[in-house]
Amino acid sequence: MIKIKNVTKIYKPETVALKNCNFRIRPGEFVSIVGQSGTGKTTLARLIIAEEKPNKGSIIVGGWDISNIRSSDVPILRRQIGVVFQDFKLLPRKTVYENVAFALEVAGAAPKKIRNIVPQALKIVNLENKIDRFPNQLSGGEQQRVVIARSLVHRPKIIIADEPTGNLDSINVQEIIDLLLKINKFGTTVVLVTHNRDIVNSLKKRVITLDEGQVISDQEAGRYLL
Amino acid sequence: MISFYRALKFAFQSFKRNVWLSAATILILVLTLFSVSLVGTINFIGDRAIRSVKDKVDLSVYFYPEVGEKEVQAIQARLQTLPSVKNVNYIPKEQALEEFIEKHKDDPVISETLEILDDNPLGATLVIQAKDIEKYSEILNVMSDPNYSDMIYEKDIEDYQTIIRRLTNMTDRIYQITFVISMIFIIIAILVVFNTIRITIYTHREEIGIMRLVGATNWFIRGPFILESMIYAVISTIISVGILYPILRLVSPQVTTFFEGYNLNLANYFSDHFIEILGLQLIVALVLSMISSMIAVGRHLRA
Repeated sequence: MIKIKNVTKIYKPETVALKNCNFRIRPGEFVSIVGQSGTGKTTLARLIIAEEKPNKGSIIVGGWDISNIRSSDVPILRRQIGVVFQDFKLLPRKTVYENVAFALEVAGAAPKKIRNIVPQALKIVNLENKIDRFPNQLSGGEQQRVVIARSLVHRPKIIIADEPTGNLDSINVQEIIDLLLKINKFGTTVVLVTHNRDIVNSLKKRVITLDEGQVISDQEAGRYLL
Repeated sequence: MISFYRALKFAFQSFKRNVWLSAATILILVLTLFSVSLVGTINFIGDRAIRSVKDKVDLSVYFYPEVGEKEVQAIQARLQTLPSVKNVNYIPKEQALEEFIEKHKDDPVISETLEILDDNPLGATLVIQAKDIEKYSEILNVMSDPNYSDMIYEKDIEDYQTIIRRLTNMTDRIYQITFVISMIFIIIAILVVFNTIRITIYTHREEIGIMRLVGATNWFIRGPFILESMIYAVISTIISVGILYPILRLVSPQVTTFFEGYNLNLANYFSDHFIEILGLQLIVALVLSMISSMIAVGRHLRA
């Protein structure tokens, strides 16, 4: 599903964010990418959604080499990858429903399709009762669930979650992780970028550990090493 | 189509949310269009006035009374073959006399003198119009043929040259001044629209980021900003034309009086060419605002 081959990313003038990274994620996997702050986890996430381009090496997503993707092709890629970030990135002046519908609207979906899909996505994240609320009327966990619902509307094959629990308290953290596991059960590949030791240890899923831009360990049913 | 509709919706939303910014931008565009129209109007008035004056210039050749009709008509025929001549009007001596009497009917001395005379003291006249004002000297040369010298009593070219020169100078000067003013307004308008779109992009940066993230196409992200600038253009064209027409109606009588007899009616011209004027203003406004919004979008919305 995702192949990272000899990827190096250097930010000018001389910050090496990633150095010769190699790994492969199979379809339907749940993979945690862990490491301390500044070890290149977020860079990796940004490379996979083509927000950045590698200086060396190649990134292949679903058989598509996106290392030198044309800017006009980026939207096609983004519709196949759901993205969840630490800062929720919801539009404050739109309701829950409108925020989720927005992802379909900007992609040119027909109104009928939007009316059909949005409630389904909100049902998956258990927010079907709060569709008319505005983001500031929701808890952090609920806001992150809206983001997850929004990332699901294109029925992506991959979900990239970059520190999705970074701004949440422990109860909400578990809610979000459970939700990601549920989505993974539907067959969606989930890439979880985190530095939360407890989550990683409780998941008992594959763990890729980064240190100073390099992959230092890749374990099935792994633990947080650092 | 649905995407276009949504882009248009976003454009209108942003227009409404920054209503003062939109109003200021439209004001500048209106001023620009207005000054461009002023240049156009002055150009038009000047051109028409000069053309009418040029049309009025003619060369009158007066013959002695004893020169016969046939001889004069022979000369008329010859003149008509000249490429520089537009037309030659033959005025027989009887008509010349009538016109003379009519012209001097209020002058008792001339009337009495004419009554004393039995014969018509006037000869026939040829009134010659050249195709171009420069060609009169050529025609005068032809008429200076020694064969004609004992037939022609006088050659008289009405001197409009000074008027034309004065008119040209005046309109050129006004044209230059308004042209410079328009250029300044055009530059200001480009900068203002550019800045408005830049601010709009800035206030929407969050939305734009999310659009990118969820897979909106570049066109869909850029479209609303370009459309917004087009809305400015359309509204300012309507306002500008709406202001221009009453003003032209107001000044039209004065202009008509000033250029009396030159057949110049601004308000009528405006009504007759309404579509062209509207279209031209719209094109100017659209080109200006789209150029600047595209620069703003290109600089601040790099994919």
